[in-house]
Amino acid sequence: MMMIQANNVDFYYGEFHALKGINMDIEPNTVTAFIGPSGCGKSTFLRLFNRMNDLIPGTKLQGECIVNGTNIYRKGINVDDLRKEVGMVFQKPNPFPKTIFENVAYGLRVNGINDSKVIKERVEQSLMGAALWEEVKDKLKKSAFELSGGQQQRLCIARALAIQPSVLLMDEPASALDPISTSKVEELIHELKNDYTIVIVTHNMQQAARVSDKTGFFMLGELVEYSDTKKMFFNPEKEQTQNYITGRFG
Amino acid sequence: MGKKTDQQIAFWVFRILGLIVVAILCWILGFIVWNGIGVISWEFLTTAPTDGMTGGGIFPAIVGTFYLIIGSMIVAFPLGVMSAIYTTEYAGNGKTVRFIRIMTNNLSGIPSIIFGLFGMSLFVNTLGWGDSIIAGSFTLGLLVLPLVIRTTEEALKAIPDSFRTGSLALGATKLQTIKRVILPMAFPNIITGLILSIGRVSGETAPILFTVAAYFLPKLPTGIFDQVMALPYHLYVISTSGIDLNATRPMAYGTALVLIAIVLIMNLLASFLRRYFGKKVKTN
Repeated sequence: MMMIQANNVDFYYGEFHALKGINMDIEPNTVTAFIGPSGCGKSTFLRLFNRMNDLIPGTKLQGECIVNGTNIYRKGINVDDLRKEVGMVFQKPNPFPKTIFENVAYGLRVNGINDSKVIKERVEQSLMGAALWEEVKDKLKKSAFELSGGQQQRLCIARALAIQPSVLLMDEPASALDPISTSKVEELIHELKNDYTIVIVTHNMQQAARVSDKTGFFMLGELVEYSDTKKMFFNPEKEQTQNYITGRFG
Repeated sequence: MGKKTDQQIAFWVFRILGLIVVAILCWILGFIVWNGIGVISWEFLTTAPTDGMTGGGIFPAIVGTFYLIIGSMIVAFPLGVMSAIYTTEYAGNGKTVRFIRIMTNNLSGIPSIIFGLFGMSLFVNTLGWGDSIIAGSFTLGLLVLPLVIRTTEEALKAIPDSFRTGSLALGATKLQTIKRVILPMAFPNIITGLILSIGRVSGETAPILFTVAAYFLPKLPTGIFDQVMALPYHLYVISTSGIDLNATRPMAYGTALVLIAIVLIMNLLASFLRRYFGKKVKTN
């Protein structure tokens, strides 16, 4: 079964037609990368799957977005519950002004988990899952703002893991990080694939090539090409893809 | 003229203007302290006026002002903070919000004597509360409501959206996001609104004139429906309509000094709280 499906998705910001007739199937436990020039709609498309676009007034969606068999724009869907199922990591690390521990515990607490033993376990697991545990285990009570940018981003990943989603959306998660932190996040993505379905938007084509199983190339609101990453980078079907990948524009 | 000279001139102009502001403040404060410090004594602070208000102290007025500060904050603070949460976090940017904003601005432009008359007509007469702490607190509360709303709105707007989206993306509801992330972050700045409001409330005379202030009332209030004396009104009375103005002149300066001191102490307390919460918010 497909984890994520988009059927004939059209999306508008007011009059602006941002996504045009997108179809895409994403298998569970894979990493899918979205690439394309700025403003091509890849982030917009990503944010459809945890309904983050709902926060922007004046938008309109046509077509179906299906996560784990459920049409997530169906009437009666609880958006807060959907967002527990579909976690998100943002471009800039955005930890809360709380302790490291409380940052990870936040998602649990707002979802009604109050058992301090469960919370402690889950925080530890998540920090391990995000490859941050060793660096922070002695300063869990310190402010998250004291961490470096790369650590903060992994903290945000840990925070998303804590509520045990099945899908993890990443919107250019490494674009604000230095090369070492970037490679740590990339390694992490590789490992997380075993437990999660990951969709990542990136501007960095090498990154897409390194971390993803499949790649979708977006341009001007259209999904130009969507195939195995290897094929996409070595033998793209469309000329536009070829031009973008070889850096002729973008 | 070179760029450097330009810089120098601008720098000195700004510096002198800044110093003028400080100098004016120091002059006023110095003037009041100089004239008022002589009458300040333990007795002045802790006894009621005597001898037709030409002797004794100002204790009832201090207590009265204190009650009015507390009362008006109880009225204005929750109401103001909640309206600001509504306008910034919930209402979006539609016509309703613009209307509310315009009305809030208008409210802050209304002269305080009008608030006094409104308070008298609504709280004192129509609701039948009489001249009382509660009527005065509501009147003063309404007076500072726009200030509380405005400062809270600014405090909330200063929080980057990334904290909101970050919280929502974890499945938190809007209310949880506001309660657990946004308000704690905005709290130090909201406290600033509280400071400004307290300063304003403790100094206002017109709104309490017809709603709570007593000309002379040596006993302390026993409930919220009692009248009280208040420092600004007492100051007005002993400076303009006492029996012997020359005899009460030093007492008037003393009263002014106490009033300023109260505002100053409140400000210090609030800025301490502000710093305390500012530090705490990073690790709450």
